[in-house]
Amino acid sequence: MRSSFSKKAMAVLLAAGMTLPMMAVNVSADELTDGKFAETKHITVEVYDRGNDGGSDPTNNKYTKYIQDQMLERYNVEVEFVAVPRWTEVEQINNLLAAGDAPDICVTYDYPTIQTYANMGGVLDLSSYVDDNKDILPNLWDWLGETNLYWDKDPESGTIWAIEAKLATSNRINTFVRKDWLDKLGLAEPTTKQEFEDMLIAFRDNAETLLGEDADKMVPYSVSYDVGWRAATLLESFIDPDISDKDFYIYGFDDRKFTEPGVKEGVRLLNKWYNDGLMWKDFALYGSGDTTEDDMMKAGYVGAFTHNWDYPYRNGEDSIQTNLQRMVGEDATYVVIDPFEDSKGTHTKFVPGPIDRKIFFPATNDEPLASMLYLDFISSPEVIEYLQIGDEGVTHNVLDDGAVEVIAATGDDIQNSGFNIDYTITCNGLKLVDEEQTLKSTAHSYAGIDPAQVEHANEVANTDLHVGKNVNVGTIEAEEGQGPALSEKKDVVFDNAVIAPSEEFDSVWDAGMEDYLSSGGQAIIDERTEKFEATFGDVDMLP
Amino acid sequence: MSDKKKNPKKVGNKISFKAYMKRYWQLYALLALPLLYLLIFKYIPMIYMQIAFKKYSIVQSVWEMPLAKNHGFEYFIKAFQNRDFINALRNTLTLNLLDLIFGFPAPIIFALILNELAFKRFKRVVQTIAYMPHFLSWVIIYGLALQLFAPTTGLVNMVITKLGFETVPFLNEPGHWIATYISLGVWQNFGWNSIIYLAAIAGINPELYEAASVDGAGRFKKIWHITLTGIRPTIVVLLIMNLGNILGSGFDRPFAMQNNLVMNVAEVISTFVYKNGIKGLQFSLTTAVGFFQSVICLFFLLAANWISRKLGERGIW
Repeated sequence: MRSSFSKKAMAVLLAAGMTLPMMAVNVSADELTDGKFAETKHITVEVYDRGNDGGSDPTNNKYTKYIQDQMLERYNVEVEFVAVPRWTEVEQINNLLAAGDAPDICVTYDYPTIQTYANMGGVLDLSSYVDDNKDILPNLWDWLGETNLYWDKDPESGTIWAIEAKLATSNRINTFVRKDWLDKLGLAEPTTKQEFEDMLIAFRDNAETLLGEDADKMVPYSVSYDVGWRAATLLESFIDPDISDKDFYIYGFDDRKFTEPGVKEGVRLLNKWYNDGLMWKDFALYGSGDTTEDDMMKAGYVGAFTHNWDYPYRNGEDSIQTNLQRMVGEDATYVVIDPFEDSKGTHTKFVPGPIDRKIFFPATNDEPLASMLYLDFISSPEVIEYLQIGDEGVTHNVLDDGAVEVIAATGDDIQNSGFNIDYTITCNGLKLVDEEQTLKSTAHSYAGIDPAQVEHANEVANTDLHVGKNVNVGTIEAEEGQGPALSEKKDVVFDNAVIAPSEEFDSVWDAGMEDYLSSGGQAIIDERTEKFEATFGDVDMLP
Repeated sequence: MSDKKKNPKKVGNKISFKAYMKRYWQLYALLALPLLYLLIFKYIPMIYMQIAFKKYSIVQSVWEMPLAKNHGFEYFIKAFQNRDFINALRNTLTLNLLDLIFGFPAPIIFALILNELAFKRFKRVVQTIAYMPHFLSWVIIYGLALQLFAPTTGLVNMVITKLGFETVPFLNEPGHWIATYISLGVWQNFGWNSIIYLAAIAGINPELYEAASVDGAGRFKKIWHITLTGIRPTIVVLLIMNLGNILGSGFDRPFAMQNNLVMNVAEVISTFVYKNGIKGLQFSLTTAVGFFQSVICLFFLLAANWISRKLGERGIW
């Protein structure tokens, strides 16, 4: 009793100890002479730690040294990196913020966390830094533009708590299938849900042929505990492709589209597949960051799965596909298919606007100007290009047609994240100085993977896009602090609904949804409706 | 104060404070550090208990925060209206009661058995093996549990299916999960917890056993009338302390063992507080929950102690 209480008290004590200098530091470009600070400034920058096998120290390697040298030379700013584990980043950044230890430049995917701290006065308002320093922030303005810089600008007060990094590509999710299994069974690539289901049944029924004595390890279709992501395109195919912007927004608090109308029917289909023995039985037992499922794919037990658009091709020598080929044989590959048709017969893929991570400065940041200059530096095209493709002959080759081909690097040259996106915090996705070269290079950017496969994946991921619009109606107070609890509840409902006996599916889903709504979900929907109507009036579709 | 008479510098019936301190200051000096520890880490943080009654703000000192609504009880009301909290409360009680029922007698029985073993070397080996799980963290134990008990890939279930039986959902069905949770807890701790009983048994006068043998008492009579009676005060003290913890719970064990399929029985107060307080930043709500939890624990501790004294045992003070 005592220890659990005091632990909590300590956390709160630390949080309360963060009585911060709240006056906005008076920032101006006057401090700079020839674009440089007279005295050396020191800033800390968050970087994700992915803990990859054979990776390098994310805070100290070839690329951090490059950034550090450049920043010192250009602006006389010392940069120190602070590692935050990628898969628990929201919790970690929360703890750091509460303790007053957060880096000067923070990055997170979770806007509600920023909003919560902002409401308590723990985050710097970036609006003046962004607006008043246009002349010394040319790269930042060029790359992010008003769309991303003003994405989170409060329509009433004009505050900007965070600026949104930009997605260089909007590719989100694809479904992969074992091409060699299709060939072995003489099946064509499925183009509808029914064909997909038939294919899964064929995998299940021919487990002996496909896996021999490992037949009992066969998983025709694999998802993880995060059903909303790992079956996203399937679930989304049950949403009306012509859904109004208003409905999409007010039911859209959860990025897994848990409360969007139609999703329940998608889960019902998964439930059927689960009960028919077409899915991985143990999926809900393994938490985030666990590699059990990846290992099953690498070992060749998984027939099909849905994941990030390039998932099995990522990580060079350690990619799922390369491992698969090592273990099973050269002809074993995962190819992208697009089998989940919606009510119109199209394959709508709901992608968010061109936003990625959210960058913000906690109130403990004493060097906002130096931090803004860092963002400008990290957004400059040649810096992004260098960080993404590294040195020629070491991390990439230039092909005859000018395309850049990434080669698997080792040792200090290794990139802990694809294209070093963890360092290019304002940019996610390949972006070379030359646009045409970027297009050509994407297909060559996966070491050991056939470029044609990547091109195909890219093409499918860009079919029938429904791009999210920026619905900025100010703060939704009901969302505050609800993110983690509701997100977990959603996973609990998804998982339990998938594994429920078919006849209990409705009661499990409805009870779960009822619980979700009454635990704060409904309040969010109501407030979103109210603010949407207050801002946009009667319209259902936004321009 | 048997030394009163020996002390010449008596003032009235008491020795003077000065003389007393002069004689005993070293003992107090020894006490200073632990007291300081208690003060800094256990008492000063209690100032922040008032967050439970206030609207939390990260930038204000705890004294400046405004009082919460309903005379400061807003968050207590919220907590009891929160289904997840009620659920966590129920689960905490259930799991801890089961832990008490199965986990409390286990080390006593184990100590008794060990004590009866004739081969000393064998006894020592068994004892060491039984301690070992205590040093494993729950993350590791859950990792082992997954390898052994997962429905399709777990070793135990593979054996069960090979033998032609249905898989047992050790980890993915609420009822079975509770059984697994409790058994793993007993498994981890019975060896370690038996140490204190073995020590108490070692303190029993061996002449009692000899006398009992002379009187014709068998092995079970001796266990019942001498060993168990001898360690009764130890059992009572530990029982009181366990009861004081009936609403408390470690964090790592439930947190490591939870999964989405059993969340309705696996969410306990400590994980609820972590998820809503630390992750969801609802500091006031979760401090209120923690405060409530501490008050109930204190109540159980006092009640158990009182009952024990009524029954003629020594309490813990």
